[in-house]
Amino acid sequence: MITLEQKRTKKTQLSTVIDVLSIKNLYKSFGENKVLVDFNFTLHKGENVVVLGKSGSGKSVLIKCIIGLLNPDEGEITVLNEHVLELNTTEMDKIRAKIGFLFQSNALYDSMTVRENLEFPLRRHWIKVTQEEVNELVKQALDDVGLGYTVDMMPIELSGGMRKRVALARTMILKPEIILYDEPTTGLDPITGKEIINLMIKIKKKYNTSSLIISHDMNCVKMAADRIVILLEGKCYAEGNYETLKNNKDPKVMQFFE
Amino acid sequence: MADNIPVKSFLNEVGNISQFTGRFFSQWYRPRYEISEFIRQCYFIGYKSLPLIGLTGFIMGLVLTMQLRPTMVDYGVESQIPAIVGIAIIREIGPVLTALIFAGKIGSSIGAELGSMKVTEQIDAMEVSGTNPFKYLVVSRVLAATLMLPILTILSDAVSLYGSYLGVNIRGQTSSSLFWIQVIESIDFYDVLPAFIKTYFFGFAVGIIGCYKGYNSSKGTEGVGRSANSAVVVSSIIIFILDLLAVQITDLLGYN
Amino acid sequence: MQSKKAVNNIKLGIFVLAGLFFLIIILYMIGKNEHFFGSNFMIKARFQNVQGLKIGNNVRFGGINIGTVKEINIINDTLMEVEMVVDNELKNILRKNAVVTIGTDGLVGNKVINIESEGNKSALAMEGDILPSKKPVNTDEMLRTLYKTNNDVGMIAENLKSTVEKINKSEGLWNLMNNKDLSMHITHSVENIEKASREANLVVNEINKVVKKINSGHGLAGTIINDTLLAVTLYEAVSNFRTMSKRSDSLVVHLQKSITEIDKEITEGKGTVHSLLMDSTSARAIEKSLINIEKGTEGFQQNMEALKHNILFKGYFRRLEKEKKKKEK
Repeated sequence: MITLEQKRTKKTQLSTVIDVLSIKNLYKSFGENKVLVDFNFTLHKGENVVVLGKSGSGKSVLIKCIIGLLNPDEGEITVLNEHVLELNTTEMDKIRAKIGFLFQSNALYDSMTVRENLEFPLRRHWIKVTQEEVNELVKQALDDVGLGYTVDMMPIELSGGMRKRVALARTMILKPEIILYDEPTTGLDPITGKEIINLMIKIKKKYNTSSLIISHDMNCVKMAADRIVILLEGKCYAEGNYETLKNNKDPKVMQFFE
Repeated sequence: MADNIPVKSFLNEVGNISQFTGRFFSQWYRPRYEISEFIRQCYFIGYKSLPLIGLTGFIMGLVLTMQLRPTMVDYGVESQIPAIVGIAIIREIGPVLTALIFAGKIGSSIGAELGSMKVTEQIDAMEVSGTNPFKYLVVSRVLAATLMLPILTILSDAVSLYGSYLGVNIRGQTSSSLFWIQVIESIDFYDVLPAFIKTYFFGFAVGIIGCYKGYNSSKGTEGVGRSANSAVVVSSIIIFILDLLAVQITDLLGYN
Repeated sequence: MQSKKAVNNIKLGIFVLAGLFFLIIILYMIGKNEHFFGSNFMIKARFQNVQGLKIGNNVRFGGINIGTVKEINIINDTLMEVEMVVDNELKNILRKNAVVTIGTDGLVGNKVINIESEGNKSALAMEGDILPSKKPVNTDEMLRTLYKTNNDVGMIAENLKSTVEKINKSEGLWNLMNNKDLSMHITHSVENIEKASREANLVVNEINKVVKKINSGHGLAGTIINDTLLAVTLYEAVSNFRTMSKRSDSLVVHLQKSITEIDKEITEGKGTVHSLLMDSTSARAIEKSLINIEKGTEGFQQNMEALKHNILFKGYFRRLEKEKKKKEK
C-alpha cells in the first residue's frame, strides 16, 4: 500500500501499477444509519473491480461519493491524483468528464432523442465542439453498442436492454478513464444482462478504462471481475478474485456465493 | 425528515421551500446561462398553455357577463356591465384565474417532470455530465414561468373581455367601440399595474413550488404523483395568499 | 430537428409579442383616456375649496371630456390652484373668460371640472392662463339644505301622524257627522237668511213707497228727495243688503257642498277633511262656528228690523227736524 505522500511524489513517475482511484477512511452516515464506516479501497488502472454487497449496504452511496453527488462525512477520495472533496465546481466538472457513470435506472433524458441524450454530456463538458465532431462521436458511440439506427428515437420507444446500451454509449462518449457502473444488470433478463457485461468488457479492452462495478449479480461478478471487494457493515470486509472468495469459509462471505 | 407532528412538518416544509427559493436567487444570475433551455421552457410553459388559458378566459368572461346581467337589469344599470366586467377581469379574475389554471397545468407538469427525473436519476446524470441541474432545470423553468404568466394573463384578459363583449351582445346591443370605451374608461393605470405585477409573483410561485416539489420528490412512481399533486395544491394556496398580500399592499400604497 | 426548434422559436416569438402588444394597447388606451400622451396644453383655475378633487379627474368643456387634472397646489390658506392639461385642439376654442367650476359626475360620482364658455368676446386662452372660477355648486350644501327640508317634512309628517292618530281615536267626528243639530242649525241659518232677505225686501218696498211719494212731490218726502246725499246713502245701503244676502246665499251653498263632501269623505274614510273632522276639538269648533253663523244671521235679521224702524226713519226724522228748524228761522 502506498501512502498518499509517496503517491504525490510519484506523480510523474510511471509505474506498472497506477492507482486511478483511491478511497481512504471514508465515513458516511444518514442520521443514525452509518452506511460507510472507515472504508478503504483502491482501483488500479485497467482493472475491473466489482463491489459486492447486499441491498442498502451503501454501494450506491460509495460511488455517489466518488462522483461528488454525495458528500462523505469524513475521509479522502483521490481520483486521478486529485482530491475530489477539495475541488470547486469547475474543477470537479473537469474530473467528472473523465469519469463515466452508468446509472442503475439509465437516467436517459425522457424529453430528448437518443442523439440529444448522447450530445448532452459532450456539449456540456466540451463547450467548444463543432457539430461534425459531435456527430462523429455520437455515431461511434452508438456503433460501439450496436444501436446506430436508434439515433433519432426517443428513449421511451426503446426496450430495457436497448436503453441500458444507449446509456452505456452516453457514458462512453467522453472516453472516460474510469467508469462507475451502478448495478448494470439489475432489471434485465439474464441474457440481456450477459450482453451488457460482454459489452462492458469489450469497451474496457477497446479504450483501456478502469471500471468500478457495483452489483449483486453473481453472473456479472464472475464474468467481469478482475478483483472483488465485499462491502459489509460499511467496511471493505473481504477482497480477492472470484476463486479465492468462493473458497472463503467465512459464512458472511459464503452467503454471496451460494 | 418526515415528521408526524403536522406543525413541525409544516414548518420544516416552509423552511425547505424558503431555502430552495434562496438557492434560486443565489444562482439565477450567475453564469452559465441556460438560454436555449430557458427558451425551450418558455415555449412549453407559455405558448403551449395558451389554448387552455384562452379557452377558460373566454368562458369566464362570457359567463360572468351573463350571470351579472339579471342583477344589473334589476338595478337598472345594464349599461354598466362592460365597466364592471372590465374591472373584475383586469383586476382580479384575469390574473387569479389564469394563475390557477397555470398552476394546474404547469405546476403539475413541472412537479411530475422533475419528480420523474429525480426518481430515474436524470438529475444526478445531469450533474455528472457537467451541468448544474439546478440551473438547467430549476432556474430555467422558474424564470420561464415568471415571465410567461404575465403574458398569458394579458392575453387571457383580452380573450375574456372579448367573451364578455359577446355576452353583452347575446341579449342587448352594444357596439364594440362603445364596449371598449366603457371598459377602458372604467379602468386606469392603477387597476392594470398592480394586477400585472402580481402575475409575476404568481408565475414565480408556481414555478418555484413545482420545481421544489419535483426536485425533492421521493423515490418511486408514487412520489412523482405526490409531487405533481402537492405542487398544484401548494402553489394554488400561495397564489391566493399572494393575492391577499397584493391587495393589501396596493391598498397601503393608496393605489386601490 | 433544427427546423423544428426554429418553428418553436417563431411561435414563442409570436406569443410573446402578442402579449406585449395587448399590454401596450391597453396601457396606451388608458393613457390616451387620461391624456398622458399627445400634445396638450395647460390651464389653471383657482378655487377656495376644491372639494376633494383629485389628480386625474376629468376636465370637461361643454360636457365633453377634454383633459385631466394634473396638479393641485395650495397657494395660501384660502386659495387652491388646479392645473389641468387639455387637448391641444382646445387652443382655438377655449377663451379667457370661460368659467371653471367643480362639479360631480352624477350624484355620487367622481369630481369633474366643468369649463363653460361665456360667449366669444374674449381672447383665446393661452398656455398657463388662469381662468375665472365660480364657487361650485356644493353638493354638501345641497345635501345639508335637503336634510333640513327633510327634517321639516318629517316634522310635518309627524304632526300629521299625531293628528290623524288623535282623530282616529276620537269619536268627535262621528258625533259631529251624526249630529242632527248640525243640519238643524244649518237649516235654521238658511231660514234666518231667508227671513233677512224678506225683511230687506220689505225695506225696499218701503223705500219705493217713499220714492213714489217724492215723485208725486208730497210733503216732507220732497225734501228728502232733494237731499241727494241721503239718496246715495240709501242706495248704497240697499245694495249692501243685496250683496249681503247674495253672499249669505252662496255661503249656504258652499256649506251644503262642503258638508256633502265631508260626508262623502268620511264615509270613505280618507282625506284631510276626514282627518280634520276626526278631531273632536275641530268638530266642536265647527259646531261652534255654525252656531255663530246662526247667531250672525239672527243678528242680521235683527239689524234689518232695526233698520226698518231706525236707520231710514231716524235720518228721515232727523232731516225733518232740521227742515223744521230751517223754516222756523
